[in-house]
Amino acid sequence: MTAVEQFDRVAVADAVKRVVIAESRLSVDPATITETEPLVGELLRVNSLGFVGMLVQIEDVLDITLPDDLFVGRTFKVVGDLVDVVLQGAEASR
Amino acid sequence: MSLVTPALSATDRTELLLARSRTALTLTPPIGDPAYARYCHELARSLTTAWPAVRSANARDIERAERRGLPPTLVNRLRVTDAHLRSMVRLTEQVSAELATVSASGPRIPAGDWGTLRQIPKPLGVLLMVYEARPTVTVDGALLPVVVGNSVLLRGGKECGATDAALAEAVQSALAAAGLPRDLVTVVDDPDRSVMKALLKRPDAVDVLVPRGSPSLIEYCRTASSIPLIASGGGVNHLYVHESADLDLAATITLDSKLPEPAGCTSVELVLADRRIAGAYLTALLRQTERTAKERTANGRAAAGVPAAPDGEPPLLTVRLDPAVPGPEPASPGRPWRIEALEPHDLGREFLDPTIGVLAVDGLSEAAGHIRRYGSTHTEGVIAQDAAVAEEFARRVDAATVVVNGSLRLHDGPKLGIGAELAIATGRLHVRGPVTLGSLLTRTWVVEGNGQLRG
Repeated sequence: MTAVEQFDRVAVADAVKRVVIAESRLSVDPATITETEPLVGELLRVNSLGFVGMLVQIEDVLDITLPDDLFVGRTFKVVGDLVDVVLQGAEASR
Repeated sequence: MSLVTPALSATDRTELLLARSRTALTLTPPIGDPAYARYCHELARSLTTAWPAVRSANARDIERAERRGLPPTLVNRLRVTDAHLRSMVRLTEQVSAELATVSASGPRIPAGDWGTLRQIPKPLGVLLMVYEARPTVTVDGALLPVVVGNSVLLRGGKECGATDAALAEAVQSALAAAGLPRDLVTVVDDPDRSVMKALLKRPDAVDVLVPRGSPSLIEYCRTASSIPLIASGGGVNHLYVHESADLDLAATITLDSKLPEPAGCTSVELVLADRRIAGAYLTALLRQTERTAKERTANGRAAAGVPAAPDGEPPLLTVRLDPAVPGPEPASPGRPWRIEALEPHDLGREFLDPTIGVLAVDGLSEAAGHIRRYGSTHTEGVIAQDAAVAEEFARRVDAATVVVNGSLRLHDGPKLGIGAELAIATGRLHVRGPVTLGSLLTRTWVVEGNGQLRG
């Protein structure tokens, strides 16, 4: 079984939450962020300028290679949207 | 010449980049050679000549970005204007003017009774700059490190690929005209992230890493690479208002530390006000905000900010207020400020917009403790008429710069009169604060022994 096959949503969600917290210049516990938390709202302020950094951070943490255009042309409203796309990207990279 | 060819693997392309950059480094003249001043002049000339081509390439990047569905904020970051060219030319002049000082040898000092010592400047070596969609950084990187003899690899965002390629042509033309190796500046046009990752894993071939961009990118460089790094950790900055402060001055300083560049890394995020004067400080702050809004309206909409507006427009300033601080009456429509409740997650955050938090504290110790816990060691400030308090704050608070009774935005190389800067560093080694020309070199001790033996 490859590393990608071992991913579950919890592991990917944790990696995604950590990068969106960093991108929002916050110091909060990832466990306090739910998947329904808006990416641009009272708590998180994720800016698409940081997508390259987020991509390489997620790749590093999960030990996968994601497609370059993973985030391009898509609309992300909540944390769960990003988790979905990273899971799809991880699947596609197998 | 581009190395992006299917005939070479990512590993081979990385090796070639590193070999060319290192070779260029060995071919460069010593710091202080007239070629570097010539390069400043030639770069200004070359950028000006090439500007129509740069604008045209930039238009292609913009068009592609819009077609790919990138959001307007990012598209605007990609755009270069004639104002950017004027800034670039000014930067070449400023850097040229600093060269003689930064290139000079240190004074001769006695070594015992047998000889003398002095230090002479030397380049850091091969620098790798990693950044996102910012074409102006390409010129910063092609100028400041290079005039003190470094060889640079510039890896920008692929969204700026055409613009960076046009800028690279102008840079290489300037290098050649100045008599410097063309490979002294390499714009890494390889979009493959595996090349960037491979470069980050070569501390044997890259001497210094300079990431500029989002927190994720900087954090990735910090954790994934063992190359010595010059980077900023972001600006979670505070102002401590002591009870001895002139509160009108404190209000003015607060606004100057926020409104002109709300997302800047030297912007204030949280004001820590002594509990006894916190309410009075807030009153002064809101009064000054109203005055500023009136001035802006009187002057016509100031380019740097948003003036007071009746309805539907954002206020000039949003204050997230500690519930322990007595607030004002609810704002009537048209007020240029808004009050919201300070939330726990606001502590340690960069708002990146015209918002500040105000938190009451019981004295300097509590303020210093808060800064230690939540600050990013970038820029911290104290406002106090009691000189002993200001001195104690400077002694106890750890940051790249501590500003006493002044705007946090003074933390800027040119404004401080210490020279052009590549970035503001928050690391603990080599350089902290403005990364000036003098920070982009190292030094060699020259020992003049006059035949002296160790014995």
